Amino acid sequence: MASLLADAFAVEIGAKEPWPDNVSLYQPFEVGQILLPDFAACLGVKTYLSMCGLNYELVFKKNAEHMSPSGKVPFMHIGPFLISEFDPIVAFVNTKGFHLSSHLEETERGEMRAYMSLVDNVLLNAELYLSWCQEDVVTEVSRPRYGSVYPWPLNKVLSWKKYYEERRRLKAMGWAQKTLEEVCEEVKTCCQALSEKLDKNLYFFGDNPSELDALVYGHLYTLLTTVLPVSRFAEIIQEFDNLSQFVSRIDSKYHSKDLQH
Amino acid sequence: MESVRAKEPPTTTPKQQPQKLKPVHRMLLGFTGKEDRNIFNQIPAHVNKVHVDGLEHTKHDIVIKQVKDVLEAQSIGEICVRAHTAQSKLRKLDIFKDIQFFIDTSKGKQSGTNDYEVIFEVEERRLGGGIHGEVGTNDGAVRTAFKFLNLFGRAENVNMEYSYGTKMTSGSLMFSKPLFENPDILFRTGGYQHHGEYPWSGYRTIDRGLLADIQFPSRLGSHTLSCEGVWRELGCMNRTTAFAVREQAGHSLKYALKHVFARDHRDNNILPNKGTLFTCTQELAGVDDKVLGFVKHNMEFQAFKQLPLSTVFQLSLGGGIMKPLQSGTEVSIQDHFFLGGPLTLRGFNINAVGPSSDGNALGANAYWLGGLHLYTPLPFRIGKGGFDDHFRTHMFVNAGSLGNVNFDSNMKEDLQRLAETYRLSYGLGIVVRIGGLARLELNYCVPAQVRQGDSSNVGLQFGIGVTFS
Repeated sequence: MASLLADAFAVEIGAKEPWPDNVSLYQPFEVGQILLPDFAACLGVKTYLSMCGLNYELVFKKNAEHMSPSGKVPFMHIGPFLISEFDPIVAFVNTKGFHLSSHLEETERGEMRAYMSLVDNVLLNAELYLSWCQEDVVTEVSRPRYGSVYPWPLNKVLSWKKYYEERRRLKAMGWAQKTLEEVCEEVKTCCQALSEKLDKNLYFFGDNPSELDALVYGHLYTLLTTVLPVSRFAEIIQEFDNLSQFVSRIDSKYHSKDLQH
Repeated sequence: MESVRAKEPPTTTPKQQPQKLKPVHRMLLGFTGKEDRNIFNQIPAHVNKVHVDGLEHTKHDIVIKQVKDVLEAQSIGEICVRAHTAQSKLRKLDIFKDIQFFIDTSKGKQSGTNDYEVIFEVEERRLGGGIHGEVGTNDGAVRTAFKFLNLFGRAENVNMEYSYGTKMTSGSLMFSKPLFENPDILFRTGGYQHHGEYPWSGYRTIDRGLLADIQFPSRLGSHTLSCEGVWRELGCMNRTTAFAVREQAGHSLKYALKHVFARDHRDNNILPNKGTLFTCTQELAGVDDKVLGFVKHNMEFQAFKQLPLSTVFQLSLGGGIMKPLQSGTEVSIQDHFFLGGPLTLRGFNINAVGPSSDGNALGANAYWLGGLHLYTPLPFRIGKGGFDDHFRTHMFVNAGSLGNVNFDSNMKEDLQRLAETYRLSYGLGIVVRIGGLARLELNYCVPAQVRQGDSSNVGLQFGIGVTFS
């Protein structure tokens, strides 16, 4: 009799606990392999999960990019599901019942989507431009890092292959033809918009963090702290005080505790 | 027209119409009953001269080496046999469109009554190729080949091939050359690209490689030594691929030294009646940055015996084991052994035996396989003539096992477990030989012993392929 009750109890608890214990987040090696845009994407997702208070295990794999169902990192392995990239992960977390932006109204949510779209179109592409269209960065940082996990001759072959692929994509989007000045202008405009939206608030939408905060933090932190032969973007961001303070605030709140690694 | 004289005649011989021995006579002399052969072997003969007509581009030394044994003949029968051997050696070089030989009495002042000369007439070719069908296990392909032959005069060939099939697409460019002017010793080098799909494990690969190998015969059988470097790219076939396979997606490099020994004394390679087959493969491979990655052994043995009433009995045995040489070497799923199939371990789906995850077979590093077959002719006649010869009914028992053996700890227990967790199936069916190209089997199988994780096929199973056990 007692065991029947215990079983029923366990089943109830199980149903109410939608976030399992063995969730893993896969990304490339941080020390020697990962590149600027991937680092920003991974950091955005990690910050978002920390903001939601969700546990996960961080797994470093040199072939994370190829393991991912969409070809992009980071990707999350939760039960039988594989979800990759920021937006799908946010949507999946929402279905599990965890919301960061539930307190927002419809118009604000629409605004948030617009800003996230702006960040994706400008900051992400700027990072890709910096990694693959600036010759200094390409030869000193991007290609060596990308090939560092493979033996010769794969390290050369694969890094050149990735170089051509990324350049072709940027060309199709119209970014490869821009000069560094033009890209800096775009970054500046984007930061201006973000800075105006943030104003003197703690977070972009009031006193509680949202997806936009996680995404922006990921990109800005990466651009500010990564040492590259070309550091123009860091200088641009530092012109906006409230953005720099925003970055250090989120850093100290969600990442100085070093929760997961 | 160039010609090669293997032995200088005492005087110049005027060109005459040689008395040609018809091909049917050649065959009769060599290949009919023992009594005939003995008669022709007793007639003494001596070959004065061997003459090869039709050489333009081919260098003489390589041709001389193939035909010079004809000079040693001591009797008529021996001349025919040696000439026939020389003809097949020349044919093996693959640079002649047509090779014919004629035996003529030797004319000349110093020729005796027993002196003969042998004349080979060859037609060179510089280009070759064709379109062929190929059969793998339950998949087929069309292969288009284009060859540049005899590049520098000593049977250096360049072979370009493209295959398009149901589970694979591949292209290769190979350069081959007989070494020491011996067509049996063949050196090959080249590159290839191979796209393959492996639906039983849920992945597809693109392999790009360079390889060089030497094939040579020995008293026991033929050996092939090869070294190869492959860039392998593994990708998942769809979203439902098991995570254990997904973890191996990406690029890797494998370089391998391989030795293959083969001894095929069966009288037919699709439906043998008698003979034995023994093949043995050893591979020493390095993966990525581990130069000594793993060592792999594989052996296969088949024996056929003809029994009364036109029945044939077959015994097959096979086994393989793989050992990582450095701890922490990750052996890719592409190097694992797989077991199961309509022609090997019947009653189980292709490669679906052994460790699996989410419906995808993972393979393992050790296996063994055995089979006993009894072939009988069909109980009824179908068509006329030798058509029935291509059909057999067979009853079989297959057993085997596939599992991982951990060499660091409890190796003995793992090997014991491999023997104990055997899979067993038996049944009967029809075997069809398709023109020397493939073997088709339609069997009714009863998998008697199935283990967890295996995917079995009870009842009718259809299989077509070339390798079987």
